[in-house]
Amino acid sequence: MDSPHLTATLEREARPVRRPVRRTRLWDLLLALPAAWIVVFFVSSMVIVVLLSFGRTQQDGQPVFGHRLTNYDALWDEVYLRLFLRSLTYAVATTLVCALIAYPVAYVIALYGGRFKNLLVAAIVVPFFASYLIRMYAWSAMLGDDGVVNSVIRKAHLGGGVSFLNTPYAVVGGLVYGYVVYMILPVYAALERMDRSLVEAGKDLYHSPLRTFWSVTLPATRAGLFGGMLLVFLPALGDFVSAQLLGGPDTYMIGNLIQQQFLEGQNWPLGSAMTVAMMIGLTVLMVGYLRATTTRRREA
Amino acid sequence: MAGVERRPRLASVVTVLFFAWLYAPIVAVVVFSFNSIRSLSTFGGVSTRWYASFFHDDSLIRSLLASIAIATVSAVGALVLGTMLALGLERISSRTGRAVGAVTLLPLVTPEIVTGVAALLFFHGLGLKLSLLTVTLAEITFSIAYVTVIVRGRLAAMSPEVEEAARDLGCTPWQAVRLVTLPTLVPALVGAGLLVFALVFDDFVLAFFTTGVDPQPLPVRIYSSIRFGVSPAINAVGTVVLAFSALLIVLALVAPRLLRRGGAGGLDLITGGERS
Amino acid sequence: MTIPPPTAQTPLHRRPAVPGQPGEARSPGPESAVRLRGLTKTFGGQTVVDALDLEIGRGEFFSLLGPSGCGKTTTLRMIAGFSDPTAGTIEVGGEDVTSVPPHRRDVNTVFQSYALFDHLDVRRNVGFGLRRKGIDRGEADRRVAEALELVQLADRARDRPAQLSGGQRQRVALARAIVNRPQLLLLDEPLAALDLKLRRAMQLELKAIQREVGITFLFVTHDQDEAMSMSDRIAIMHDGLIEQCGTPEDVYENPTSVFAAGFIGTSNLMPGTYRAGRVHVCDGLAVPVSGEGLVDGESVSVAVRPEKIWLSELTDAMVRVPGRVAASSYHGATTQYLVDVAPGVTLTVLEQNLPRMRPEDRWTKGAQVELGWLPEHGVVLR
Repeated sequence: MDSPHLTATLEREARPVRRPVRRTRLWDLLLALPAAWIVVFFVSSMVIVVLLSFGRTQQDGQPVFGHRLTNYDALWDEVYLRLFLRSLTYAVATTLVCALIAYPVAYVIALYGGRFKNLLVAAIVVPFFASYLIRMYAWSAMLGDDGVVNSVIRKAHLGGGVSFLNTPYAVVGGLVYGYVVYMILPVYAALERMDRSLVEAGKDLYHSPLRTFWSVTLPATRAGLFGGMLLVFLPALGDFVSAQLLGGPDTYMIGNLIQQQFLEGQNWPLGSAMTVAMMIGLTVLMVGYLRATTTRRREA
Repeated sequence: MAGVERRPRLASVVTVLFFAWLYAPIVAVVVFSFNSIRSLSTFGGVSTRWYASFFHDDSLIRSLLASIAIATVSAVGALVLGTMLALGLERISSRTGRAVGAVTLLPLVTPEIVTGVAALLFFHGLGLKLSLLTVTLAEITFSIAYVTVIVRGRLAAMSPEVEEAARDLGCTPWQAVRLVTLPTLVPALVGAGLLVFALVFDDFVLAFFTTGVDPQPLPVRIYSSIRFGVSPAINAVGTVVLAFSALLIVLALVAPRLLRRGGAGGLDLITGGERS
Repeated sequence: MTIPPPTAQTPLHRRPAVPGQPGEARSPGPESAVRLRGLTKTFGGQTVVDALDLEIGRGEFFSLLGPSGCGKTTTLRMIAGFSDPTAGTIEVGGEDVTSVPPHRRDVNTVFQSYALFDHLDVRRNVGFGLRRKGIDRGEADRRVAEALELVQLADRARDRPAQLSGGQRQRVALARAIVNRPQLLLLDEPLAALDLKLRRAMQLELKAIQREVGITFLFVTHDQDEAMSMSDRIAIMHDGLIEQCGTPEDVYENPTSVFAAGFIGTSNLMPGTYRAGRVHVCDGLAVPVSGEGLVDGESVSVAVRPEKIWLSELTDAMVRVPGRVAASSYHGATTQYLVDVAPGVTLTVLEQNLPRMRPEDRWTKGAQVELGWLPEHGVVLR
């Protein structure tokens, strides 16, 4: 077995191999502080929520940890279940309405915005990132019984006014108003990135603009649309300001319920269980949604 | 191609209506803040009485100053931590690194109410009295991810050869970051800082769950007033807040462009920046 | 500046890619700017650079030429210090720098993307290295001005990189590196991003600058014209190994491998079997060659450059093969013919269009011709 070839190989391996690289630990250190911060302030606080969801409230009102499922059992109450379903319905409705509004707006700006493109996007972005609360307030002031809209209706003798507030429409409208930007931006980015020659080719192939849109443009921007739907759905489901300012007890969502447990009812363990339940529900929905959308994309 | 092609009519109509719908309530708030009478539907004449009452309300002014303080400290803190995180994540390719990266983005996809509740429980568990400090800690935690996303976007657009060039010319790895990478990131950092400032200044949910009694951040103050009913006074405060935030956002959008001098981009912060 | 004498030219004898005998692929100069010994890099079990031995003399303009993925850039990065070798050593100016970090190596790099510092003006970009070295202000300013003068950018000293054109940015990158007067300058495809015309101009300029400053240049490129026109010596790299190393003329005239013959310029390759002084390519085509070192029955290829083949004025000393013109194309200074010499064997022939030639002197498709080349132009490759 000691052919010259083998010896040569052995010799080469016997060359002084450089000692392992002195990996600089600088980057690890850079990562350590912010990672520790997030672990301490975010991850551990989440753990506390989970732990407390198994706990109870003492006689003196202090919440204590425990290992009971009572709080979760309490969630199966019909009142709560109906409220969960309502939140889900509102959030889904918000997402769909946002998609219906955002797509044409992003489409017009991206394809026909010309040199005003950036300006138009900024005109959308600026108010959206400026005070969510004030914008919700603005709606409640406008739609209120003494608001501008009702005063116009009365002056035009169209009737004695309409009660907009306290309706599901007002709440969903508020949610759409609050989060539609999260749909416009990813769709706009996808339309911008899209290869325009695809559309030209589609026109030759399908002749009708509508069919071209359906078979070329929409599939090409599907990722942006799906991403946007996620970005709208997540905050919409957890929102409580819209229902608080534009709705009432009949339109309350999970967010209002959780908020009540913590800041009004002072039943923190029950509130924690609701929070955990919402997060579990969200995670299941997200995983299912991501799986569905990514496999469909792969087929395409 | 715009000349040849007919603009889709329905989509254009939707767009116009969208902008009207977007601005109508805001315009109403601003207009009625100058109303001389206590009505939100009939305009009695121009007056600045509601602004005067705002600026003479000590507790409102304290809230405004508190919000500015929280936003400033949060912006600086999030900027430091978020930039460190971005620099670290950009260089780590191991499995642990990717896991850390995913965890740091969790605050972005968690509904704010959950973050708020968790922060409340956390501070309570620590025995920390709720105050502006707790609000600030919560806001920093929430904002780190924003800075990280923006800075990583810019880093991804930067050629790794630039840092190598610095080392080639005599910099230690740390000097390369300090003398070359960070100065290159300045526009993105300024933009991210302004954005975080604006977001924190306006943030209601987290502040609502983590604030003490006095002084309360301005959005929390406004919320409690709204619950007692709408009034022109709130319109005045709202107008001030809207104007201030809008100014900050405009700056956040424009600053990176101005600072880069000759470089392209405009809405880099929002659209993710150009990747060359 | 001395061009090291070309190493012994024995086209039939392929030099080992991993020279067992030192000196084969090296310049014999007393002092070398860089010396690589057994330099090896493996990424995830794949060997990208395979036990490279190379020595480059002081003041040489040396090119590493090869297709992408051949390991040339990895080699450069190991010399610069950005990548750690799996095995082997790197010496710069006689000093072992294998484990010295990049900032303490007396080596500078011109990057493919130029990698200029956008936040600094041209002057500060160029002065960056001097400042790091702690050279005093006056001296540094003088050298920066000198370097900018050299690359003809003295008037753009206060501009930002974003305000410069591609060619100007390239010059700044060059000035930023040479101002430090390193022992060795590494250039990683620095002209790749420029358009053809500018690239040609920069090739001449780069060569002139190198002569003026006398710094050793190690130039990495995949462009054979670039390597040929500037280099004192060229090493052709393929699959992590050096296929051939020598002066441009040497590697062109005497390729030692099929890869080298195909990569530099174009070559007519005729694979066949050697028997009794001839390479039998196919029935009816046996090319006489010098059979030194060959044994009967060996599979070899004969390579002939298109411009070495004559279509007229053949002499008795030539190897002569009859053929039929299959296609011709007129390129101004030259005319290219494709000539079928046997079933499945087509040779490319490049003929100068001389002043005395008239259009009717050119061969047309279908013409019966006789090709000829001098025996020494038929290079046998194993």
